[in-house]
Amino acid sequence: YPGTAQAQQVQAKVTSYPRQLVGKLSQLKVNQPLYFNYPDEGPNSRAMLVRMGVEGGGGIGQNKDVVAFSMMCTHQGGPLDNQYKVRDEHRVIGQCPFHLSTFDLRRHGIIVSGQAYESLPQVLLEQEGDLLYAVGIMGLLFGRSDNLIAVAGA
Amino acid sequence: MTTQFYIPEDHAPLPPKQAEVITTACDYCVVACGYKVYRWPLEMANGGMKASENAFDLDFPTAPLQAWVAPSQHNVVMHKGKPHNIIVVPDKDATVVNKMGDSSMRGGLLAKKVYNPSTGTRDRLTQPLVRIGGSLQPVTWEFALDIAAAVGQHVIDTHGTNAYGVKTYSYQYIENTYAITKYALRHVNTANFSFHDTPSDVTSTPGFRDAGFDNFGPSYDDWGAADTLMICGTDPYETKTIIFTQYIMPAIQRGMKTVILNPRETAGIAYMKKHGGLHLDVNPGSDTLVVGAIARIIMQNDWQDKDWIENWVNSKWESNSGFGQGTRNTPWQWRTTWGKFQTNGYEDYKKWNLAQAEYAPDYAANMAGIEVKKLYQAAEMLAKPINGKRPKTSIGIEKGFYWSNNTGNTNAISTLATLVGAGGREGQVVGRFGGHQRGGQSGGKLPRNKSPEKVPGRRRRALDTDRYLFSGHTRFTHVIGTTWIQAMCGSQGLQKKFWELTVANPHQVYSYDKQEIIDTLKARADSGGMVVVNQDIYLRDPIGAKFADIVFPAATWGEEDLMRANGERRLRLYQKFNDAPGHAKPDWWIIAQLSKRMGFDGFDWQNSNEVAEEASRFSRGSRKDFNMIKVAAHAEGKTLHQKLKEYGTEGIQGPVFYNYDTKKLVGTKRLHDTQMSAETLAEKGLTDGPQGANVLKKQLTGFNSQTGKINMQKHPWGLFSDFYAWIKPKGDELWFSNGRVNEIWQSGFDDVERRAYTAQRWPENWVEIHPDDAKKRGIESGDQVMMYSDRVPSFKDTILGVEGDDFQFNQLLEAGHIQLDKAAVTAVAIVTPCTKKGVLYANMIDMKQPSNSLTARVVDQISGNYNYKMGVANIRKIGDSVYKKKFRSFSFAPRNIV
Repeated sequence: YPGTAQAQQVQAKVTSYPRQLVGKLSQLKVNQPLYFNYPDEGPNSRAMLVRMGVEGGGGIGQNKDVVAFSMMCTHQGGPLDNQYKVRDEHRVIGQCPFHLSTFDLRRHGIIVSGQAYESLPQVLLEQEGDLLYAVGIMGLLFGRSDNLIAVAGA
Repeated sequence: MTTQFYIPEDHAPLPPKQAEVITTACDYCVVACGYKVYRWPLEMANGGMKASENAFDLDFPTAPLQAWVAPSQHNVVMHKGKPHNIIVVPDKDATVVNKMGDSSMRGGLLAKKVYNPSTGTRDRLTQPLVRIGGSLQPVTWEFALDIAAAVGQHVIDTHGTNAYGVKTYSYQYIENTYAITKYALRHVNTANFSFHDTPSDVTSTPGFRDAGFDNFGPSYDDWGAADTLMICGTDPYETKTIIFTQYIMPAIQRGMKTVILNPRETAGIAYMKKHGGLHLDVNPGSDTLVVGAIARIIMQNDWQDKDWIENWVNSKWESNSGFGQGTRNTPWQWRTTWGKFQTNGYEDYKKWNLAQAEYAPDYAANMAGIEVKKLYQAAEMLAKPINGKRPKTSIGIEKGFYWSNNTGNTNAISTLATLVGAGGREGQVVGRFGGHQRGGQSGGKLPRNKSPEKVPGRRRRALDTDRYLFSGHTRFTHVIGTTWIQAMCGSQGLQKKFWELTVANPHQVYSYDKQEIIDTLKARADSGGMVVVNQDIYLRDPIGAKFADIVFPAATWGEEDLMRANGERRLRLYQKFNDAPGHAKPDWWIIAQLSKRMGFDGFDWQNSNEVAEEASRFSRGSRKDFNMIKVAAHAEGKTLHQKLKEYGTEGIQGPVFYNYDTKKLVGTKRLHDTQMSAETLAEKGLTDGPQGANVLKKQLTGFNSQTGKINMQKHPWGLFSDFYAWIKPKGDELWFSNGRVNEIWQSGFDDVERRAYTAQRWPENWVEIHPDDAKKRGIESGDQVMMYSDRVPSFKDTILGVEGDDFQFNQLLEAGHIQLDKAAVTAVAIVTPCTKKGVLYANMIDMKQPSNSLTARVVDQISGNYNYKMGVANIRKIGDSVYKKKFRSFSFAPRNIV
């Protein structure tokens, strides 16, 4: 069995992103982020769901204002929890506590200012009635060489 | 309708254990972070996620700050004709510069820089081209070189050496700059020569030069070792990224205070303000007044560093001493009417400052558009002793400052630095933060006495290549690795003149026959037209695409072993790790082939190391003296390049000394190190003075002046005030300034159009406008705007100055040497409080929408540099850009969110 001394290395077989319930539209308050893990419970899967109150690229919901993003900076993995900011019509995350990168959440997580050489990975969402599902990721999560990996216990 | 988009990949290969590791450094900004290239052939399996399976010896997923490979850090390149995977990542083992492998966006994307025809690099120049029948057509090296040499030789013989112009980068590796300057200055010996960022071959910071300060004396550690750091004309986070994150930011967290002079507030300035920084958001061009007023407040409070001034400032007698003629025979006197800047020391300067009405704090603050109390706060932070102890103060400047009032600002800041004791001690330094890396090594000397331009008195000034061309004197020009036109001020007027001299000339090539082509181009030059040879890695528009008759394809970073130094004089070998595309050749090779055809000797190099070894002896005594690396290498039976390679990404800081006793090479942490210990001198083998081939200059432990002490200079506002009064915005005009952003900084020559992510972030030209100014004009973020002016002053003639004020702006205007041009540039508006009210801040160079066309093509009358940051423009909305409603690219979020 995996994790035991006799375990043999087996190539994980994952064919596609999991479809994971991340919240209910009716319970999302504007500009109050919810945190979750995706695509698994393993390392570097921290993500945030937020209803921005303004339309964003890839946004869902009636106003296309609900988006989700990875919470690890694509520069060096800095934690972006609690860095969500509202400035007029702008919605950004940052500055990253490590090296001050900020990302534009209305524009698919593109860098506003800073060091990262990849956009903040956007968690792709689907809506089914009131339910919100994470169904994929655009971009590579920091620290991974593949977003989909075999995670012990997952 | 869609916009530039880029869908990132969600996986990246890890290098296997057997991957080769090659060291290099980033190709872009002055910081020059250390990078590693991992290379393995396509047929070799990629590394696995376990530490035992990959070259990083790390289990993946990795933790924050550990190594990681982003998808954009992978590429496939040709190495010895076979496809290989490469990844280019910051060196996680680095203990200097980018410690622990920090990186910027520009460096982070280096892997995408290398040639791969399935990417945005597919338009690399791969073959020499000759314009035949109006089209640039591929030819052989021999065909292109024969034509260039024959026409060039003809121009020299017929019209003189000054008709043969060379415009070149100053920084793109020591081997190349050495070859280029050896050819242009030693052999062609033309005065018609200038570097990419200035119309004439002059120092960028005249005030530093005349005070005795080296631009790059400090070490990076010094920038984080002060109690108060003053930053002028830049946000180091934007343009010295890793110096900020690795040195300045940790120091701020420890309590270092900051004083910033900049019209704009970006991410780093916002961060500094949040941590107690004082931001003086001055109007463009008002810095001399602000610095002079701060100096006055310090002196009036008696806060100046008396011991430092006593020991290190030239007195009256020292100011006039030196090799027989004292400062009368030094560059600071050649540049101006004698006595304009010279003082008799501190008391004399104080008397002068107090007598100038414009350095009254109220006046200065009013002109700068800031609250006067900020000047008093700045003076306190810089110089007021706390509990009897002076703060350790350092000052760093960059382009926003020295390209606003070039001579005045650099004179003033040198004097302020000296008042606060900055200049020659750990954490008490003054210097430039830097732009490009330091890859210049001169192989010849500008024949300034051949310059037809003279300033009042009997002094020649370095020839202004723009004005000389504008007057029709340049018949042949060789342009190497610069756009020339868009990079200069008032660029649209310059472009029109290029067009007149080349395309509009009746002598155009329509022949298959080499001799006939040569004869046609000779006839062009003889008729008063101009022949253009362009040497670059991409075809530039317009210099290459529209105006060049001959194009030489150059090889670059990663395609040849090359040497360069960074902003703390750290020399590294940038190794070759992939094949150059097609027939592209390194610049030194191209120059050598051309020079041999023109009959010049000494161009028989077989490889880049031979060039570096020859160049090394010309580096002796310079800030990046690397001659002793060669001496040590030869003593060990190695080449210079082999020896430098051993130093990997750490490199060694120039000037480099060789201790003949210990057989060790010893670098130099900082110049002007007045506290250098006997132990350090002994380590360098300098106890009894320089031994063997070592060269010891006074800049090591003193300053670059006639005595080794500092010249405290005046900074007369009157040299600039008439221009300032004339250019100040009138009516609906706004100040027009420009600069760079972190994501594109010293990298725009190949990344902004070709890196998918960079192009997604900055797909086209942009301008920042303050919300109040925008509202008044009905402009919103995302609007397409027209910036325009009919007040672009363009200095058009090469003149002989006779009277004292012949180069004064009002005098030039009156004498008819200034022509007023129109210019218009479109951009996408970004409405943001980042820029000061009344000031437009635009992208410095977009190839297609050149902002510099709106800046004044009038050189600083003392130095001959442009003040690139000075212009005025109107702005109005012409419609919506696609970015206004589409979310795939661009961002209008302000850069100062903390």
